[in-house]
Amino acid sequence: MSAAGGAERPQVVSHVQQALSYTVFDCKWVPRSARLLCLGSAARGTGLVQLYELHGGRLELLREIEKPKPIKCGTFGATSLQQRYLATGDFDGNLNIWNLEAPEIPVYSVKGHKEIINSIDGVGGLGIGEGAPEIVTGSRDGTVKVWDPRQKDTPVANMEPVQGESKRDCWTVAFGNAYNQEERVVCAGYDNGDIKLFDLKTMSLRWETNIKNGVCSVEFDRKDINMNKLVATSLEGKFHVFDMRTQHPTKGFASVSEKAQKSTIWQVRHLPQNRDVFMTSGGSGSLHLWKYEYPAQRSKKDSEGSELGVAGSVSLLQNVTLSTQPISSLDWSPDKKGLCVCGAFDQTVRVLIVTKLNKI
Amino acid sequence: MPVWLREHSWRQTLTAVYLSLPLRGARATPANIFCSEQYLKVSIPPFLFEAILYAPIDDTNSTAKIGNGNIFFTLYKKEPAMWDSLTLANADKEKLQYLRENAVLKAHEKAKEETEAKKITKQEHKKYALEATMKLEEAERKRIEDLKEKERQKVTKELELWKKQQKDGDKYKSIQNKGESHQEIEPLKERKSEKMSKTQIPNEGTSTTRPKSTKGCHGSSSIFSQNLKEEQLPAPRAAATIKVNFTPRVFPTALRESRVAEEEEWLHKQAEARRIINSDLSELEDLKEEEKNPDWLKEKGNKMFAMGDYHGAVNAYNLAVRLNKNLPLLYLNRAACHLQLRNLHKAIEDSSKALELLTPPVPDNEKARVKAHVRRGTAFCQLELYTEGLQDYEAALKIDPRNKNIEKDAEKIRHLIQGTMQSS
Repeated sequence: MSAAGGAERPQVVSHVQQALSYTVFDCKWVPRSARLLCLGSAARGTGLVQLYELHGGRLELLREIEKPKPIKCGTFGATSLQQRYLATGDFDGNLNIWNLEAPEIPVYSVKGHKEIINSIDGVGGLGIGEGAPEIVTGSRDGTVKVWDPRQKDTPVANMEPVQGESKRDCWTVAFGNAYNQEERVVCAGYDNGDIKLFDLKTMSLRWETNIKNGVCSVEFDRKDINMNKLVATSLEGKFHVFDMRTQHPTKGFASVSEKAQKSTIWQVRHLPQNRDVFMTSGGSGSLHLWKYEYPAQRSKKDSEGSELGVAGSVSLLQNVTLSTQPISSLDWSPDKKGLCVCGAFDQTVRVLIVTKLNKI
Repeated sequence: MPVWLREHSWRQTLTAVYLSLPLRGARATPANIFCSEQYLKVSIPPFLFEAILYAPIDDTNSTAKIGNGNIFFTLYKKEPAMWDSLTLANADKEKLQYLRENAVLKAHEKAKEETEAKKITKQEHKKYALEATMKLEEAERKRIEDLKEKERQKVTKELELWKKQQKDGDKYKSIQNKGESHQEIEPLKERKSEKMSKTQIPNEGTSTTRPKSTKGCHGSSSIFSQNLKEEQLPAPRAAATIKVNFTPRVFPTALRESRVAEEEEWLHKQAEARRIINSDLSELEDLKEEEKNPDWLKEKGNKMFAMGDYHGAVNAYNLAVRLNKNLPLLYLNRAACHLQLRNLHKAIEDSSKALELLTPPVPDNEKARVKAHVRRGTAFCQLELYTEGLQDYEAALKIDPRNKNIEKDAEKIRHLIQGTMQSS
């Protein structure tokens, strides 16, 4: 990366770096504000939620909340903009929704899984999309469960392994296709490389595939539109971009894959302001900024006359190495284009600004 | 014998001597001329001219011009004086010899000094060049840093500006908010009043209705409808379960692309092993159908082992091996029988054969390999070959580091080894 040669390319500028005294597993922007949350596990084995505000060139700690169990993941996806309740999954399999103004007692709490909740996603809140607010959690016990905060104790959908079959850890979940009140899909990635797409309207498995390596992170480019693209990242440095507009009866969705680096790609996050730009974070502490280009024709007819999707191409806009440890979490700010926060296993959280995204 | 050149002519001034030497057709190059302080020689085989000069000259500044069939020397005297003659008159052989040698030595020294001086200047030049390049690179680096810094500052300023805008926007909206909440607290008291007054940053949707809402009921109805929409969220879904099947896989570990090649090889080998049946044994005709199946024989052997009939088990395994000699588990189990029967050498052989067949090492045959190492280790120890035994135990530990029994046994063997070493 040279500033001279890439005068038009987006630059990743490190704005603030904050050293933490605990392992941070997830970091999220609080919507409609310059505040961010860090979720993690303290050395004593308790969970920590820290609320920071971006102030001048520093992060100012506003509040610290300690919980009995380490917290793995969190989301604001299912709450309204007024309430901004945080939904968290912890190491014990508990799903809790917290009001950060009064965090002693959760607004909603359920022991959803028998083992750690690896990943959580929310949809229907924040004024994005339509339909009921729902939260999906994926856990090491191999199940994926969808919860409605208005219904206590039981999930509204449960995707569990068939009786007697050995289970595989679910590592990541994502909502998508929530473009009207009825439609919704959940995509889940497992440690054996399986990706499964569940349709919640028909309560069935809509599509599955195997990408030959454990799936670390899946994300739709937008949750609230007709499914457009899905990015799935995996171990051994590969990620796949699936074109979700055309489903072939046997071949499924078309995809393009890219091998970015030798190490695991931990996270993928799409830019909220431009759904064709996404950033991947890697096990070698690096961040790669990618742009997807659509092909001339997004679908074509195959020999039997059924529609087959055509995948486009992915180009690398920028890459930067920030740390020697994996960057395990990444979040773009929905309010300011190019502002993002990332948390790494070297116990630091960094606020970055990606410039020149307007020119892409 | 060299041919002496004697026809030279010379003239002198106070400070210099000019010597002209005709060459008689020979070609001269600078290599043929040798000159030192007091000795001058021109040697163009077979011609030779040499002269012991009357007084020392400054040989570094003196010149020789070659051309026109002769060499023209311009020798600068060290001390300006008129010479009686060009050469020293009474030069005996010894003196000549001594002078010649001296001259050569001096020439050598001079040459050495020159090379030294050259080396030093070369080094200095190199240093200078290096420093120059370093400066250039430093400048380049600084330039890039400055660009980055500028970018960073620009971006920080933008961020601050945006934040300020947000704060101002919020203040404005919250003031408006308070204004309306006073107006509309009556009709909305029941459900909405709390929501409104708590609102710090209003929803994008409601804010667009704000300017209209000051117009009284017209505005309030629009807010009503907004809030009604929020109430109209669909009911929670009917609970349902979707059953999930995972991609079938022979190995218990998850699929990893980099390991696929090794795993394929192992599966292939296993498949091959099952297919080979050694069918040209005449005794086979006496056997029942099931006794020709190596797997059935293995099961029989296992049962006999469990009951303590070790000889019977060995026979079963022997027959199975004759039918199919590539199944590692047969050798493994036979090794266990031999251990019980104290046929230690046979046990070692069988465990080794089993290990050979258990390549490539994949997580699937971990347990089998651990067993093979442990059995072979035990056999070695019972033969008092403790070091070999320890090696096998350590190999087993490497594959399965969590097995406490193997650890304990390995410790015991280590103690034994130390004990025997001390006593001997």
